[in-house]
Amino acid sequence: MKFSYETKESYAEVKADGRLNMVSAPELREFVSELISDGSTRIVVNLEQAVFMDSSGLGALIGCLKAARQAGGDLRIAAVQPQVKMVLQLTSMDKVLTPYATAEEAFSND
Amino acid sequence: MTDILASRSYRGLATESAVDAVHNELDSLWGELPLVQDMDQMTFTTAVIESTSNIVKHAEPAGEDPLEISVDLEVRPSQLRARLSAYHAKPPYGSMEPRTPDQDAESGRGLALIQALVTTVTFERQDATNTWVLSRTSQD
Repeated sequence: MKFSYETKESYAEVKADGRLNMVSAPELREFVSELISDGSTRIVVNLEQAVFMDSSGLGALIGCLKAARQAGGDLRIAAVQPQVKMVLQLTSMDKVLTPYATAEEAFSND
Repeated sequence: MTDILASRSYRGLATESAVDAVHNELDSLWGELPLVQDMDQMTFTTAVIESTSNIVKHAEPAGEDPLEISVDLEVRPSQLRARLSAYHAKPPYGSMEPRTPDQDAESGRGLALIQALVTTVTFERQDATNTWVLSRTSQD
């Protein structure tokens, strides 16, 4: 899986490309942790190119969400694909990590 | 006897590289049989990868032989079936019952997810081999 980021006006957008599984989950945690350390605490994870997520990947997103909130910010997800949406719904985590249609929408109301 | 439309097998050390290797076998299977419904592909793939990851993460060697994993995947006319084995392994420890962790928990959702995704899960242990069989009856 590949991660990249782009700093926008009011948030940082992390793009995840590939499979978010037990191999790549620690990489996501480290990637987001570094962003937060560098001062970006409002983060959108764009999952448009994330074709797969398992419970390890979900755990990493939850860990990143907690880290962003502890730093005074927030983490949101956008552009989820059907498999990722299914995992969020089956685990009822779509209530905590509510998917936004696009990265732009994620922080548009605050 | 049920016809097998397509199958794939993987065997290797129970390390992280097995997870992507098994995922590649699943993708190859769906590439050969595109008529398997998207929902069946998606749910079965998720269950098999969760189970593979569970073995890689939690299986412990029973002796000096390294842990190995095998995954046999079969597509039948109305059923998807996976047989996952951990070789040279101790019996699984702890409960194999699914849990419902707190919302902010970062682990513990795998077993519940597997059970929600497939029709049956069975476990057997013989010698030093733990075997799980997952099956999903097609929604056709």
